[in-house]
Amino acid sequence: MDRRQFILSGIALAAAASLGAGLSIYGWRQSLNADDNNRNLVLSAILPALLYGALPRDASLAAMELERTKAAVNDFLLFLPLRQQQELHQLFNLLANRISQLGLTGHLTQLADLSIQQRLVLLDSWRDSYLGVLQQAYHGLRELLYGAYYGQPEHWQALAYTAPRFR
Amino acid sequence: MTNHLDASQFTQDQQFEADIVIIGSGAGGGIAAEQFAQAGLKVLLLEEGAYYTRDDFVMEERWAYPNLYQEGAARKTRDQAIGILQGRTVGGSTTVNWTTSIRTPPPTLDYWQSEFGLNFSGANDLGPYFAKAEQRLNIKPWQIAPNANNSVVQRGCQALGWQYTVISRNVNGCANLGYCGMGCPINGKQSMLVSTIPAALALGATLISRLSVRKFNWQGDSISGIEAVPVDQHFQPRTDISVSITAKHYILAAGAIGSPAILLRSGVPDPSRRLGKHTYLHPSLISGALFAEDINGHAGAPQSVYSDQFVWPDSDYIGYKLEAAPVHPVLMATKLLGSGEQHAALMQQFNQLQVTIALMRDGFHPQSQGGSVMLDSQQQPVLDYPITDYLWQGARRALLSMAELQFAAGAKQVLPIHHDAVLYKSWHEAKAAINNLSMQKYRQTVASAHVMGGCNMSANPAKGVVNQQGRHHQLQNLSIFDGSILPTSLGANPQLTIYGMTWLNCQLLQAELTTT
Repeated sequence: MDRRQFILSGIALAAAASLGAGLSIYGWRQSLNADDNNRNLVLSAILPALLYGALPRDASLAAMELERTKAAVNDFLLFLPLRQQQELHQLFNLLANRISQLGLTGHLTQLADLSIQQRLVLLDSWRDSYLGVLQQAYHGLRELLYGAYYGQPEHWQALAYTAPRFR
Repeated sequence: MTNHLDASQFTQDQQFEADIVIIGSGAGGGIAAEQFAQAGLKVLLLEEGAYYTRDDFVMEERWAYPNLYQEGAARKTRDQAIGILQGRTVGGSTTVNWTTSIRTPPPTLDYWQSEFGLNFSGANDLGPYFAKAEQRLNIKPWQIAPNANNSVVQRGCQALGWQYTVISRNVNGCANLGYCGMGCPINGKQSMLVSTIPAALALGATLISRLSVRKFNWQGDSISGIEAVPVDQHFQPRTDISVSITAKHYILAAGAIGSPAILLRSGVPDPSRRLGKHTYLHPSLISGALFAEDINGHAGAPQSVYSDQFVWPDSDYIGYKLEAAPVHPVLMATKLLGSGEQHAALMQQFNQLQVTIALMRDGFHPQSQGGSVMLDSQQQPVLDYPITDYLWQGARRALLSMAELQFAAGAKQVLPIHHDAVLYKSWHEAKAAINNLSMQKYRQTVASAHVMGGCNMSANPAKGVVNQQGRHHQLQNLSIFDGSILPTSLGANPQLTIYGMTWLNCQLLQAELTTT
């Protein structure tokens, strides 16, 4: 088994244990409850990667856009069915605590310590995983985060788009 | 509006009674409310969503999706392979749909006759009721030139010799804005919200919004009442206040996911074993195309041209209808492919992006038997919809047709919305690539804006939940008037079918209620 496969299967096991029903034998079940710190940590790590190329180069402007996006995610989550909210809480808790320690370097790396490129590779590895649960995590996060970012009129400059004004 | 009660403002348990209670205020519930209010009956119209009106419609997705759509417009099938856009607001999906109005295709009615013993001819001819709905909602062929997004569909069809039709729309004073999906800010769209519901309220009907019906109480062959609860500011059912409602007759119109869910929670008789089963979605594929000129797919009537070239193939293959889809930032960002710079680069070509969709006509083949509504641990509905090989084969053909159409209309590059696809520069290149795409869930994006079935009509009680008039086969004082009674998908956008069928069934029900 090469290192890449090892890492992927490690991530897969972690995610399966956490997201799949009843696989608690791995001892890696994560709480279904919302943990604002975990969510904030994960969003702070993933958003700059997902939005690489979309965020402004100016660091303080980029930071403002990230904060606005995080707030939009937090506001939106409450409208999802409780079932989906719990799955997302579980995913955030998992990513904040466990997967990061199986990071692509093979060391006990926090998600936040990975380079942007490494974070994108990690996301792509979920998309290409043979495990449905990781593919769901990829698509679920992607939709949630892109929706939150591009829902903000302040972020439409690169699109050359403005909504019509009526009132 | 004095006849409107917002259930979230209730501070104690409530009881209501009426002649007719209608659960759901969309295409079915909206038509029924006006019909029975006109007949002089005491009508109570219940809606889980909020009573938002044009002043609330700010033309922004970030407000519209959480406030006007089921599950924040992020509703998914159980395995999350299909995204479902469905309204949840006063007016239901008619408040947020794209106004496309099409009579039920005759081959669909023929299929229902042969498979389910349904006969929509003679006294049950839907034609006059379609005509009534068309007049009531000002449904007419769109007279203004299609926007660039739709004219691609038209030009492609012309170049290839494919069938196409100018779409009829339910609008009056439409300003061609293109924001129908976020609620019409000028009341141009003749949704239930601005037509039948205000008319019913003016005639004395009462609307209760932000009220979630949890179950029917029933005994023998009759329903004896409804148990409901208010929803909170995020539309989650509350547990602190209960609302009970009794009526002479109950009309269920909560949509093809909501109606089966209420009946499943109520444990009503289901001898046909079809309750919540055979749910259809028009599973839809998406194809993006980049043009040299601006398309501005956000501006102008979202749908004004469709092609039925492939809806009724001679072969055994699944049919699909080709339409355009509006291009708005969230809708696009969530569907476009890739991440990081790749995604950002696609978004920067937002105004040059044309979007074509193909809606597969599911439910007409042994390999296309639809999905099943089930209840989660919160007793909320979730739709399980397995995508069969038969559907995947159709998906590939649909991607091919859309790419061919877009190149024929002058596209510089085409991007099938599949996570292994890239921008292709020619029809030749796209064809070879699409033929090699791996058709699997998640990699192939699938979406739906039409939910049908789950309480299907059938003349034979062994093959359906309701009869042709929408009357429940086992519960004598229950009618179902919404898309859930359709025995298959339609092969056409569903609103006009639901309007016409509900109108007819209201007349029949009214006649029965007044003679008994």
